[in-house]
Amino acid sequence: MDRDERFEAEALPHLRSLYGTAYRMTRNAHDAEDLVQETFLRAYRAFDRYAAGTNIRAWLYTILQRVRTDAFRRAARSPSTVELSGEGPAVPAPQEALARGGEDIERALLALPEAFRTAVVLRDVEDFSYEEIARILSVPIGTVMSRIHRGRALLRQALAGSRP
Amino acid sequence: MSCVPELGTGYVDGALDEASRAAVEAHLAGCAACRDQVAYERALRQRLRALAPVEPRPALAAEVRKGLRPRTPLAVRVLLPIAAGLAVLFLWGRGAAPFVAWELARDHDHCFAKPVLPAQVWSDDPAHVTAWFARQGTQLPAVPAAAGGLELVGARYCPLIDRKVGHLYYAGRGRHLSVYAVPGSVRFPREFLDRPRARVVRLLRVEGRTVGLVGERPEDVAAFERALTATYARLTLEAAGAEH
Repeated sequence: MDRDERFEAEALPHLRSLYGTAYRMTRNAHDAEDLVQETFLRAYRAFDRYAAGTNIRAWLYTILQRVRTDAFRRAARSPSTVELSGEGPAVPAPQEALARGGEDIERALLALPEAFRTAVVLRDVEDFSYEEIARILSVPIGTVMSRIHRGRALLRQALAGSRP
Repeated sequence: MSCVPELGTGYVDGALDEASRAAVEAHLAGCAACRDQVAYERALRQRLRALAPVEPRPALAAEVRKGLRPRTPLAVRVLLPIAAGLAVLFLWGRGAAPFVAWELARDHDHCFAKPVLPAQVWSDDPAHVTAWFARQGTQLPAVPAAAGGLELVGARYCPLIDRKVGHLYYAGRGRHLSVYAVPGSVRFPREFLDRPRARVVRLLRVEGRTVGLVGERPEDVAAFERALTATYARLTLEAAGAEH
């Protein structure tokens, strides 16, 4: 199997879940697509350095996070770019979530500050372990636990009154 | 142990070592607030795991694949077609009358702009100049010694972009005129008149050869056109007379 076939078989099947996380990071489809495109492009270029048989999903998420961080740096340098982090008002929830009645929790999740939101998404939606999240975000495990805790506490506040 | 809510989170996620886990369990037994937190986080986690996936546009996978293909270098994608286009244009254009006329006008200005004419042969005798060209393999048509007040001064070979032409210098009364023997093919119906670079350029065929006339005034060019034709006719007549 040549390099392209391996990439197709091993990396591309994660596109859907990467897109889901990218969407919840950026909170809009356009930026999420850019993020995913760039992530796969970098992954493709670095694919020779990826050790076959290791955790490709975590590797791809690490690249996703790096691309996201780079985008922030660029945004910080360019004054005309809208700030992407922080509280976002009236974020439209994905249609599927609306259909399944998940509107309130999806909304609350998207309204979290990005650092907490990403930690909660990686843990509770994507089911990564603390060790994997620590590698993906390049932070100590204690920070992972603290961000998840803070994220869940904020979600609880936001959802107060509705069922847990 | 007092309340350490972050450890409750780690406990829910099974991320604590054995000792911490035991300590948290012991604490939970006696702390309703922390039990509530743990229960809430477990339920919340269930809800988050059950969130519907956010689906990408169906076309995204294909676009990502396309983005991975090594891009053709700019040189191949853009410059090569441009170069090919220019090459075709050049090959097609070099035999075109306007292109040749423009080149002759440029060469005329180039030679006459020099302080001293760059002639390789100096002579006012058409026979001498014709013989000089003949020795180097160029057959001139019959050229006049003078026309319209301009007289033969000298001649040389001049390089155009794609060919070498015989260049005869005529001058007089502060005006200049060039007669060119143009080898190779030039596409024009019977004759061609153009005014590139503020010069009058006439292309015509004399004795089956392409001749270019470049002057500063239409009258001068017309005078040479008549002279070339007349000289040819006179020589033809003389040749016919000599046979009898």
